[in-house]
Amino acid sequence: MENKTKSTKQIKANEVAEFILDAGVFLMASGAHSGRVWRNCKRMAEHWGYRMNFNPTFTGIMVSVWDDKDSENAVTRYKTAPQNSVHLETLTQISHLSWKIADGETEYDDARLELEAIKKKAHYPFWLVALAVGISCGCLCTLADGSPVDAALAFCGASVGSVVRYFILKKQFNQFLSIIIASAITTLIAGTDTIFGLGRAPEMTLATSVLYLIPGVPLINSVIDLLEGYFSASIARSLFAASIVSCIAVGMILSIMLLGINNF
Amino acid sequence: MELLSAISIDFALAFCVAFCWGILFGTPWKALLMTGLLGGFGHGIRFILLQSDFGLIASTLIASVSIGLVGIYAAHKVHNPPVVITMPACITMIPGLYAYRSMLAGIKLSDQAILEKEPNIIPTIAHNAVLTFSLLFTLAVGISISALLFRNKSVKEIRFIKNRLKLKGK
Repeated sequence: MENKTKSTKQIKANEVAEFILDAGVFLMASGAHSGRVWRNCKRMAEHWGYRMNFNPTFTGIMVSVWDDKDSENAVTRYKTAPQNSVHLETLTQISHLSWKIADGETEYDDARLELEAIKKKAHYPFWLVALAVGISCGCLCTLADGSPVDAALAFCGASVGSVVRYFILKKQFNQFLSIIIASAITTLIAGTDTIFGLGRAPEMTLATSVLYLIPGVPLINSVIDLLEGYFSASIARSLFAASIVSCIAVGMILSIMLLGINNF
Repeated sequence: MELLSAISIDFALAFCVAFCWGILFGTPWKALLMTGLLGGFGHGIRFILLQSDFGLIASTLIASVSIGLVGIYAAHKVHNPPVVITMPACITMIPGLYAYRSMLAGIKLSDQAILEKEPNIIPTIAHNAVLTFSLLFTLAVGISISALLFRNKSVKEIRFIKNRLKLKGK
């Protein structure tokens, strides 16, 4: 270990901290729980011969990196996280990158380039996501005892809502606003089932068609963080998830009020 | 026979849900198939347990824990961290219906006339909200079971899998 780090040029604590923050903050926003961020960052820091400690919150990470033998070579830095958008492929790739660094297969500069490439990696195209969302909401509706008509309406509602949300987000609007509008549109489409009495279980259509907006990853991560003892990150995540859930509720209320509350 | 076909239908639907949810969450293309299989497997277990009167929360807990445990091995097979495939698989059991019911009852609470017509609206909210939170908690326990049981070791360091790999190498 010792020989390996000395044979490469000695990397400054500041550079290590910068790399760790870049990777960690991006992991956090892509849907990793704090324990995973900690493991990945520690692996990289240890290979470069540093000790580290960090304080993760959902909105950013504060990290200290220091060299045990050289007390001057130490740094504490903070970085704000980018906007939360779940992309689990990032978790895989940064995990692979950290193992490559830990095994000494990648130098610092190459790792830097690779991280930039991972950051630019595109999500699935929006029409595929819309299709997938529609199919999964339709299947969930069928699982909850809905008839094919209910499932078809859930499919339409979820797909249209998802496309609308994509275009709102593309115009750089606030993400909570996008969720309110998407859930209102989805509920309007799914609500026709109740109004015209098309299917066997119209309640299921309404309940399952907005499920694609549910912040499953932050919700579950908040509990995992709670169990592992990262309380500040856990509270921030649950607050974020709770506000998204209430935005979904606001959108549904708008549509239900429009369609007439007594019909439901 | 009838039960068998019901289970396979349940498996197929849950497969679709987990697969598509994997696309929404951006699971890598190669791991999507495994995600779907895992989701179908977990939901199938829950279906069987529900049929044998196990109770909703207990059967969801057992199903999500088995997803979490099988997920460790499955993830290793497709070279991904376990969360990447267990997260969409567990989402198939998300308690959307109960969340919706408590929300709808909450909206109705604001209307005096409906409140007088349906006096047991507050127990409805409480019941559905408690169900929602307990189900969410069981899902989270299932996903984090690997981290909890193996004390934060990475998959590559778990001795069981290492031994298996060594045996295979010989």
